[in-house]
Amino acid sequence: MIGNDIVDLELAKTQSNWQRKGFLEKQFTADEQKSILNSENPFLQVWLFWSMKEAAYKCYVQEFQKRFFAPKKFSCKILSKSEGIVEIENYLYYIKFSISEYYIQSFAFKNKNSKMVSDSFFIEEKVSKTKATNQQMLSYFSDDVVVQKNEFGVPFLYQQEKKLPISVSTSHHGNYGGFAFLNT
Amino acid sequence: MTKEELIIKLKAIVKPYIQDEEAFKNLTEETDFINDLKINSANLVDVILDVEDEFNIEIDNDSMEKMLSVKAAMQIIEEKLSA
Repeated sequence: MIGNDIVDLELAKTQSNWQRKGFLEKQFTADEQKSILNSENPFLQVWLFWSMKEAAYKCYVQEFQKRFFAPKKFSCKILSKSEGIVEIENYLYYIKFSISEYYIQSFAFKNKNSKMVSDSFFIEEKVSKTKATNQQMLSYFSDDVVVQKNEFGVPFLYQQEKKLPISVSTSHHGNYGGFAFLNT
Repeated sequence: MTKEELIIKLKAIVKPYIQDEEAFKNLTEETDFINDLKINSANLVDVILDVEDEFNIEIDNDSMEKMLSVKAAMQIIEEKLSA
């Protein structure tokens, strides 16, 4: 199982105000709030934690097939400059993340040694972000493969009405899109 | 407050965050914040904080967990207002 999330940092600056009263308290654990406030770059720390939670949530939804909004239940630990762990109700998800000048992308896995295929890319302002993201991912598959989401918003790949044994996750935010997939 | 008044207030709250104008125009109790209105999940907390401010209520974590649709939001607001 795989989850991925991308945050366009330029858009995050204007779309959300992390300093708004209640914003941190509602979504981040006490430890996370402490790391954010003690960080050299609190803004970046907020969005790194957020993308880790969101990537882990996408994995969790695939597994348990239910939707909810409880970012605080996903507790993040940073292990290195590109790795972390998210814990929810005693389940652990391994996280790989990358931070560039323009965006943060996080991937969540159940198994630490999963070999994924992933990418991230710039999306032009005018096109459909969902379509553009799906097209990038589908370029790895034959022409008759399509993406379909189930009622919980979990994407699957279908080839001639047959579900493929591949876990996929797509994400887009602002001018950036990304995807990841792995064989199950 | 009637259901209609509640929907009007909610509609004004979500307006700054929606990314699907068509779904917003046709908003009903069945409308989903993320699937229909395409509200960015990072903005859901803003909707919740705005609801708290507007109705002067506190939305606890358990209620927040369910706030994914107009219907759920209405139920939670009504419940908190009558508590």
